Amino acid sequence: MILELTITLVKIFFIIGLTVGFFAPVLTWVERKQSAIMQDRVGANRADIMGFTALGLFHAIADAIKMFTKEDFVPQGANRFLHTLSPIIAVIPAILTFAVVPFGGQYELWGTNVNLVISDLDVGLLFVFAIASIATYGYVIAGWASNNNWSLLGSMRTASQMISYEVTMGLTIIGVLMVYGSMKLTEIGAAQEDFLSWGFFMQPLGLFMFLAASIAENKRIPFDAPEAESELVAGYFTEYSGLKFGMFFMAEFIEMVTIGAIVTILFFGAWHIPFLSAATILSWLDFLGANGANLVLMLIHIAVFFAKVIFFIWFQMTIRWTLPRFRYDQIMKLGWKILLPLSLANILVTGLVILAIQ
Amino acid sequence: MAYFVDRTVKMTWWERSYLPAIIKGMYITSRHFFINLFGFVPFFLGQKKEREIFTLYYPEEMAPIPVAYRGRPVLAINENNLPNCVACGLCEAACPAYCIDIIPGENSGKQNEVERWPKEFTIDYAVCIFCGNCEEACPEEAIFMSDDYEIPMLDRKEMKFNLEQLSVPIEKLKDRVEFTRKMYGKWNY
Repeated sequence: MILELTITLVKIFFIIGLTVGFFAPVLTWVERKQSAIMQDRVGANRADIMGFTALGLFHAIADAIKMFTKEDFVPQGANRFLHTLSPIIAVIPAILTFAVVPFGGQYELWGTNVNLVISDLDVGLLFVFAIASIATYGYVIAGWASNNNWSLLGSMRTASQMISYEVTMGLTIIGVLMVYGSMKLTEIGAAQEDFLSWGFFMQPLGLFMFLAASIAENKRIPFDAPEAESELVAGYFTEYSGLKFGMFFMAEFIEMVTIGAIVTILFFGAWHIPFLSAATILSWLDFLGANGANLVLMLIHIAVFFAKVIFFIWFQMTIRWTLPRFRYDQIMKLGWKILLPLSLANILVTGLVILAIQ
Repeated sequence: MAYFVDRTVKMTWWERSYLPAIIKGMYITSRHFFINLFGFVPFFLGQKKEREIFTLYYPEEMAPIPVAYRGRPVLAINENNLPNCVACGLCEAACPAYCIDIIPGENSGKQNEVERWPKEFTIDYAVCIFCGNCEEACPEEAIFMSDDYEIPMLDRKEMKFNLEQLSVPIEKLKDRVEFTRKMYGKWNY
C-alpha cells in the first residue's frame, strides 16, 4: 500500500515537474531561439548572470520574474471573479491530461509491477479529449469577462474553431480505436511494439488530420485566428497581464507537449524503438541481472518517449514559424468541408479493410 | 528585380491541397534551421562556414557607417583649437527646421583670425531633421554631419547642444571634409 502510494507520488512529481517545471519555461526559450535560428538571426542572448548567458537560457527565468512582479491589471467594468477564474480553467486541464498519458510500458522491478502511467483509465483517450475541451471554457470566459470587444471576438472565434475541429479530432481517433481495439492509452502504446504496426502505417491520413486538428485546437499559427495580433490585438487575453497572462501562455506550451505525447502514443509507436523489441534490449543487458536490466530498459523507454515528444514539439514549432495565418473563412472551410468528410471516409475505409482482413 | 506572378495558372488538385507548398516551405525553414544549428561544425574542420549570421550585438558592435551618412551636425575645430565658424548665419538661414541658433560676437583678436566669431552656437537635436543643408550652405568648412547617431536623451532640454558640446577636432572629420568638397564643390568657392 505504502509502496504503491510512493510509486504513484513519484510518477506524479516526475510528470508535473517535467511539464510545468521544465517544458513550459524552456519552451518559451526554445520558441524564441528556434525561430531565430530558422530566420538566420541570433535570438535571445542578453539575460546573463555574472556575464554568463548560457545561450540565453536565463531568459526563461527572467520572463518568470517579470510575470511575477508585473501589475495584475483588471480593466474597468470587467467581471473580476470570472476574469481571475478563466486562466485557471485554461491551465488546469492542460496539466490534468498528463494523468492518463503513459510515458513507458510495464516493468517488473524487485517484485513490484511498475506501470508508467499515473492513472491507467479504461477510457484514457476519451478522458484526454474530454478534459482538453474544458479548457475552451476558460478561453471563452476570458473574452467575456474582459469587457473588451476584441477579446469577445477572439473568444467567439475560439469557440467556433474548437467546435469545428473537435469533430474532426474525435472522428480521427475512431480510426485508431478501430485498429487497436482499445481506449486505454497504455494498451494502444503496447500494441505498437512491431514497427509496421505503428499508427503511422495503419492510419497515415489519420495522422495528418489529427496533427492539423490538434494544432487548430491549440490555436497556434496557422490556426491562430482567435489570437490574431494584426486583427484582434491579442484575442481573448488582450486584457490580461502578469501571472494570469503567464498562465494562458503556459497552457499553450503544456498543450503543445500534450499534443506531442498523444501523437507519439497514437501514431508513432509510443516508447518503442523501431526494429528493436524490448526482449532484444533485455538480452543485451543480461549482465545487469533481471532487475537492473528492467530498470535500464525503463529509463531507455522513457528517454525514447520524450525524444519523440520533443521531435513533435520541434515539428509544431517549425510549422508555426513557416506558415502564414489562415483567414477565418478558410479555417471553417478546411474544418467542415475538407477534414470532416475526409475523416468520415477514413473511418469507412478502415472499417472495410478490417472487415476484409477478418 | 521586378517580376510578375502569373495568377491565371491552372493547378492540379494535388497542388490545390496546399500540401506540396507546405512541405516545400517546411523544407526551406528546416534547412535553414539545421544549417545554422550545425553550421559551426565544418568551420571547426577548417572549411568555410555555410552561412554567416548578419546580426550585430548593437551596443558593443557598431556597423561601419558610409561616409555619406548624415549623423548629428557638429562644429569643426581647426588645428589652432579654434572653431572654423565665422558666425555668418548662412546655416541658420538654410536650416528648414530652425534648429540652429547663433549669437555672433565681435572679434577681440584672440578668438579667430577673422572679424566675427560665434559667441553662442546652439543646435537643438530634438528639432533637427538631419537634412545636411547647413553643411551645404557653410562657406567656411565649419559645420559637418558626423557619423554619430547615438543622441537619445531622457530630457528634451538636454538635447540643445552648445558650442563646447558641438566641437569636434577636424582630424576626426577628414573623410567627411573630403566628401563634402567633392560633393558640393566647395573647392571652387
